[in-house]
Amino acid sequence: MVGLALKNLSFYKGRSITTFLLTFFSAYFFIVYVAFMDGSHSSMLKNALDVYTGSMQIYQKEYREEGGYDYLINDTQKVFNLLDNTRGIRAYSARVETYGIASSGERSAAMMLTGVDFEKEAKLSELKKALKEGVYDSKGACLYIGSELGKKLQVKIGDEVSFVGSAIDYSFVAELFKVCGTFKTGMYDFDNQSAFMNRDYFDEIFLSRSSASYIVANVNEMEENDRIAEEVAQKLPEDLRVYTWQELMKSMVELMKIDSLFGYISMSLFFLVIFFVVMIYGFINVSTRIREFGVLKSIGLSDRAIDRLLLDEIIILTLAALALAVPLGAYTAYYFEIHPIVIPGMSEMYKQYGVVSDTVPTRFSPLTIGWNAALVFALNLLSILYPMLYVRSFTPVEAMRHV
Amino acid sequence: MFRTIFAIALKNAFLRKSRALLLIVMIGMSMGVMVGLEGLYDGMSLHMIDKSIRSDSGEISLYAPRYRLENDIRYRIEDAGEKVARLQKIPGVRTALYRLQVDGLAQTATKSNPSRAIGIDLESEKAFGKFGDFLKEGRLDFGKNGTFVGSELARKLKLKIGSKVIFTAQDSQLNIQSIALRVRAIIRTTNLSLDERGIYLPRERVAAFLGLDPGSATQIALRSSGENDPLLKKEIQNLFPDLKVYTFIELYPQLKQMQSMMDIFNAITFGIVMVVVFVGILGVMYVSILDRIREFGILLSIGYAYRYIRFQIMMEALFLGFAGYLLGALLGFVLLSYLQIHGMDLRAFSEGLESFGMESTLYATIKASYFVSTFFAILLASLLSVILPLRRLKKLNPVEVIRDAQ
Amino acid sequence: MIKLKHVNKYFYQGEPREVHALKSIELEIERGEFSVINGPSGCGKTTLLNAIGVLDEITSGEIWLEEREIAHLSPREKTEIRLTQMGFVFQAYNLVPVLTVAENIGFVMRLQGYPAEEIRQRVHELASILQIEEKLDTLPSLLSGGQQQRVAVARAVASKPKIILADEPTANLDSKNSIKLMEMMKRLNEKEGITILFSSHDAYVVENARRVIMLDDGALV
Repeated sequence: MVGLALKNLSFYKGRSITTFLLTFFSAYFFIVYVAFMDGSHSSMLKNALDVYTGSMQIYQKEYREEGGYDYLINDTQKVFNLLDNTRGIRAYSARVETYGIASSGERSAAMMLTGVDFEKEAKLSELKKALKEGVYDSKGACLYIGSELGKKLQVKIGDEVSFVGSAIDYSFVAELFKVCGTFKTGMYDFDNQSAFMNRDYFDEIFLSRSSASYIVANVNEMEENDRIAEEVAQKLPEDLRVYTWQELMKSMVELMKIDSLFGYISMSLFFLVIFFVVMIYGFINVSTRIREFGVLKSIGLSDRAIDRLLLDEIIILTLAALALAVPLGAYTAYYFEIHPIVIPGMSEMYKQYGVVSDTVPTRFSPLTIGWNAALVFALNLLSILYPMLYVRSFTPVEAMRHV
Repeated sequence: MFRTIFAIALKNAFLRKSRALLLIVMIGMSMGVMVGLEGLYDGMSLHMIDKSIRSDSGEISLYAPRYRLENDIRYRIEDAGEKVARLQKIPGVRTALYRLQVDGLAQTATKSNPSRAIGIDLESEKAFGKFGDFLKEGRLDFGKNGTFVGSELARKLKLKIGSKVIFTAQDSQLNIQSIALRVRAIIRTTNLSLDERGIYLPRERVAAFLGLDPGSATQIALRSSGENDPLLKKEIQNLFPDLKVYTFIELYPQLKQMQSMMDIFNAITFGIVMVVVFVGILGVMYVSILDRIREFGILLSIGYAYRYIRFQIMMEALFLGFAGYLLGALLGFVLLSYLQIHGMDLRAFSEGLESFGMESTLYATIKASYFVSTFFAILLASLLSVILPLRRLKKLNPVEVIRDAQ
Repeated sequence: MIKLKHVNKYFYQGEPREVHALKSIELEIERGEFSVINGPSGCGKTTLLNAIGVLDEITSGEIWLEEREIAHLSPREKTEIRLTQMGFVFQAYNLVPVLTVAENIGFVMRLQGYPAEEIRQRVHELASILQIEEKLDTLPSLLSGGQQQRVAVARAVASKPKIILADEPTANLDSKNSIKLMEMMKRLNEKEGITILFSSHDAYVVENARRVIMLDDGALV
């Protein structure tokens, strides 16, 4: 039957070429489209996670719900030991946060002040890489502040900033700091609100005694993150909880799902049209061959054999188109993963939405390309269903008399 | 003659029922879904724009010079009430109001977040942008010490109706001041910066808190008839040369760009779909003509002019295209009407959508232009689709056709 | 070999345009016969042939092929009967356009699963009998009408069916080709012992048949 199918394909060239081109076009377009969609999503996520969030965070159970200094992690060393003994953890660090009003001369702004271990942070996040001016790992009453916040307070390196807030025991704290470094991560809100300072001095001023708001950790392989988080969760004391990046970045993850959903809805329109056109060409082809099918039926070819013939034809056409579209699509996805497209000014325009980079990379994933191709394949198979039923609806005599 | 041909074409177009039906369904479904998507995407960006206009900027906003750069109450507008009254007299201005805003910190017993006190006049806001529509929970009544809080801020600070919140900011004398407030309402405008930061207060209260005159404002916003905002902007700029006047587009360039990107995306989608639709019609028309080549040969040999055949075939393609268009228009209209009334329910992703300034139920918009542009595109695709088959037909010698087909 | 018992066929039964196409046909065809169904145009020749070939449903009656009633089998069983027991030759040749002459001749054998070598031998044997040896690699569209009909005959006899049903096989041929075709079919009938049943109103065919079955207005006369 395959031989006959091949002969039919070369005989009815118009249908073959149209179906081939449409299938090729839809498969290639789909692969590249999804690669760009997934690529921009994972790059947004990766940026967000790499900059500061990390791939998992450990909290006292009530901290994220209730907040406040009553739910800090006091025995950080115990968690550190546990993380040291967990395979796959690349780096970790404890952070302790407080909010207050920062003022400089005539300006004031809300500020999130975080006490960090600068050395550990350098391995964990991109805080160090984000250094814009001054020093990253300053000691004493020194601040490492976000560039936007610096702008708002109109302070430069060496200027003084007063901070009014509360200590860990809820006592009033008013302290004078010096700006020793500024950073720019590109995440607008973060750069607009955050300042960091040396952990030892933070403990001294805010009485935090090496406790932590949370402990952040990164893994070697992102794919392993869920498994490692699960392992860490098993070993943690009862009152602590692990949050993976999916929970920490829930809104971003959801938004990406929405974006993907709309992407697929848009793609489904193309598929709908292409599906119909492939079906129409299949149908036209079959209807011009009805007499031929009548003859085949009358000389003893069963309906099932004719179905098989039609299936073989569409399978050959689809596989041929996919054989070209998949490598080409995969190459495009791979190429733009390594050489992302650059749209200057994009991060500035969408800074509010967490876009921190001007590049739009693709994501090369053989698995994704596989299911993309499988979907196109399935749709083409589906498109021959109606023509098949159409042929079946004729008796041999009717088919032979068909004009 | 043409009437007869018209009748023949009508009959022929639907002679092969399955084929015609497939083509009509293809055009109809593609167009229906495409129009539905166009309306949904347009609806999304229009809603975002509409919410931003209503909750913040209006069509035009006025600021003191440097305020937009520094966000500081030092750069404020004085006698704003009187200015608003003057603005309201300008033809083309429907309504105007003024607000007094200051950035600070919102705190509960356990949580803190940067926020922005927005001094408003509730009645003016209602007239300006149907403020009542933004109410998510609670009642729009400040009462004593009451405040309305942006929905994202409320989520971050775990605020509920009746919760206490303290707002701290620097006043006009550079002193740090705090004010204790009780949450009376939660406001969701889907304007990201307001929902994440907004602490709404009576305007006089903010003025008193900052030690300013009640006529002080950081922003004057107005709603125009929308007919010629750039011209109106010029007029207002002339009226208030000391203030900075911005149109909505200047204030929210990213929304405008988002809309342009949606337009481009819609146009590309439209183009691709129409090309594929064209290929579909071409296939059907080509085969339909080849099927009847003998018939056309006979007609030509008995002296029927080629132009009549051309007209007949063009009419056939147009009938098919038009039938598809009618189905598509109907489907599109039904889909859009549904999406306009009930919306597309994406509440499963509400956190993500709301945190990025979007509604969790997306509503579509219906514009006549969707149907008009598609009408012409389908007609054009139908007409273009017969060129190739007609050229093939023109090359034929009638005698050969009749002989070959026997 | 073939026995028709009280076969009736109606078209559009129950409608105002009802046609009683076959009227209580009682007919027996013996093995090795070379018969023709003759009658005026529209008398039901093709309908009768289609009924015997289980290509079309009959309204009532029975059709027996040897010891088996075949008119009321399932579509799949009918297909099987047509494939293994019958050969068909049509007025309009009805060759598969994408297959070469050789492939067309061997097609039914291939469907029956004959080994390739046996098919090849049989194709050459028949091609030589039917004088189309030089055309074996040609596509049907490049052949004359007479040649195409000979290919159709070769295809019908290739797998040595019990009976060949030929519906107006000479209708599209000129007299020279008609004579040639009849001679060849006669030879096949004698040489291979295949039962052949024509429908035709061609005088030459009728003259050369060993038995003439006369049909008029759907009834045997």
